[in-house]
Amino acid sequence: MNYTAITLLETDLVTDPTRNVLIARLNAPARQPAFFLPDEFTLLEAVCDRLVPQQAAERIDMAGQIDKRLTEGEGDGWRYDDMPPDAEAYRLGLRGITESAEVMFGNSFQNLPDVQQDKVLADIQSMVAPGETWKQLPADRFFEELMADAAGAYYSHPLAQAEINYVGMADGSGWERIGLNELEEREK
Amino acid sequence: MGLVYSLPLCFSQRSIALPMNETVDAVVIGTGAGGAPLLARLAKAGLRVVALEAGKHWNPKQDFATDEKEQEKLFWTDERLSAGNDALAFGSNNSGIGVGGSTLHYTAYTPRAQPTDLRIRTDFGVGEDWPLDFATDIDPYYDEVEQFLGVSGPSPYPWGPPRKKAYALGPLPINGAGQLMERGCKTVGIKTSPAANAALSAGYYQEGVGFRHACTNRGFCQAGCSVGAKASMDVTYLPLAVHYGAEIRSECFVTQLVQDASGKISEVIYVKNGQEERIRCKNVFLCAGTVETPRLLLMNGLANDSGQVGRNIMAHTALQIWGEFDEDVRPYKGIPGALISEDTHRPKNADFVGGYLLQSIGAMPLTYITQMARKRGIWGQELKRAAAAYNHVAGINILGDCLPYERNFLELSDEKDRRGLPKPRIHFSNGESEERMTAHADKIMRDIWDAAGAKNVWSFPRNAHVIGTCRMGHDADTSVVNADGRSHDIPNLYISDNSTFPSALSVNPALTIMALALRTADKFLANT
Repeated sequence: MNYTAITLLETDLVTDPTRNVLIARLNAPARQPAFFLPDEFTLLEAVCDRLVPQQAAERIDMAGQIDKRLTEGEGDGWRYDDMPPDAEAYRLGLRGITESAEVMFGNSFQNLPDVQQDKVLADIQSMVAPGETWKQLPADRFFEELMADAAGAYYSHPLAQAEINYVGMADGSGWERIGLNELEEREK
Repeated sequence: MGLVYSLPLCFSQRSIALPMNETVDAVVIGTGAGGAPLLARLAKAGLRVVALEAGKHWNPKQDFATDEKEQEKLFWTDERLSAGNDALAFGSNNSGIGVGGSTLHYTAYTPRAQPTDLRIRTDFGVGEDWPLDFATDIDPYYDEVEQFLGVSGPSPYPWGPPRKKAYALGPLPINGAGQLMERGCKTVGIKTSPAANAALSAGYYQEGVGFRHACTNRGFCQAGCSVGAKASMDVTYLPLAVHYGAEIRSECFVTQLVQDASGKISEVIYVKNGQEERIRCKNVFLCAGTVETPRLLLMNGLANDSGQVGRNIMAHTALQIWGEFDEDVRPYKGIPGALISEDTHRPKNADFVGGYLLQSIGAMPLTYITQMARKRGIWGQELKRAAAAYNHVAGINILGDCLPYERNFLELSDEKDRRGLPKPRIHFSNGESEERMTAHADKIMRDIWDAAGAKNVWSFPRNAHVIGTCRMGHDADTSVVNADGRSHDIPNLYISDNSTFPSALSVNPALTIMALALRTADKFLANT
């Protein structure tokens, strides 16, 4: 491609407000957790890596974004009524993942091989994972919230945008070719 | 081609210090589709009017980025609790904040309701009729709003009664999703048309603003138009209101409506920068939307002799079907709702009440992928593959009517939000009619998408817009306001937003909200 979501940020094909936001996000250092305890945070990182796997040399800090959101008490404006508030939901949910991993495979989640980690998560998603914690927290709802947070953190990052060949942020002069198979130079 | 802005998009606000103890003619709470046209109408009539808006006053050119995460600042993020079998999503799904309200993030899709939309009870024996006549009470206001905003659309319009005026501007160009819906519908025998959208297909003179620039196909209507082409209230009715002398106070969160000895509202209390301020007024127009309008009334124990405040919640059926296509779709370009069909407005042999429209939909990447992450059930490599297909993705959705049910309502919970106010809890479950309508639409949309060449099709069940919590009616026992939007219980309290709708309609609400806002203002002015 002529450009990527990263290289576009150096051009005037992107407006200044857009550029500023994306460069800040691209350059943000990995976050030291302020909400999660160290063990919780490494667990969350391991979980996010299964939910949205990444191979790139530069990592997108999904767990850090979630930690930031919970530290600042920010939300998206709603939650399911049968879920506890976000902070409690995450603490319980991570405890539930730990519990399920222990019961199913006799080890901590972080120490399990990928295929077993995926089995734990799949069973939580389907509400069949073992664990007392899941009696206090709806497993499917927690999984959905976790997915939304992880995918949201990942795909808002310029590295992920480059990965999927998204160049929509380069609208400084608008778009003239908008039909099927109609690409402008910067989209090719 | 560089962008040329003829006029500032952010109108300047003269700072007016109210003399101590001044009583204004009207306070308008909320600056969205319900508040803004009304504010302009009252100001033009010479009234001293002040609007209170909870959110910020943005300068789109400087403040709006083409980045969905950054633009989350346009959404109401005070937490709502969502209950029921089909618990509704809030925030970016349907709730805005800022000068301009939810029009800052609306898709600008502005079909008119049809006359039959107002006659659900008459035609089906369930639900409610509107206490209004389409031809005299709504039609003329549709004309006025469309001409004022510069709605771009096809003339003649293929569905509904004949119109007195053509749209001022021809339709916006059709993007990939629109072309695919055209192709699929042609095969299955459904008539389509470019849709009516409140975005400019050409530069347009806007009274109170000057020349607004034509749409540049950013496809970012749902996360804030930085160009001024989309007809949000901040570049249309609000500058007009200020031009005629209205005052807008931003970052003011209304908490109390104070009654005097006669029972009228005499004062509005709001919080700005953590401090309480008060404004004395002769009338109040509550335009805070279907969640915040009843919430304010319930918190203050007002205007609810009928017991209907918060009740009768409706939310449009809005199932989306997505697919991947061989073509390069690049769904981030063009007006998101390029195409429409109203052939399904009253389908033959329907086993449900009312009907729906079909809409082609563009998609911004983060919204698409996070919705998919929530609702498609895929994750890991499967999600990554599906996300990587984004440039080839297109969607089609319905917008359909919804009945009110006893079990669907808003109440105040015991949980407090960060302002120290009770969080609203909204109960919502689709009824049998909505489920049958959705099943009907699901089949049709899958047929259309199949005919268009879609692969890896998946469906995203959804309800759009919350409606009806302070419904209008002739009977004070079963409604909150009368046909003119005036509270049955408090003579100087009016509501102007879609909480007053007695039925959901089979179209997006914004155009109808604006039309009724003008009507409410005119009725008020005629009676004072």
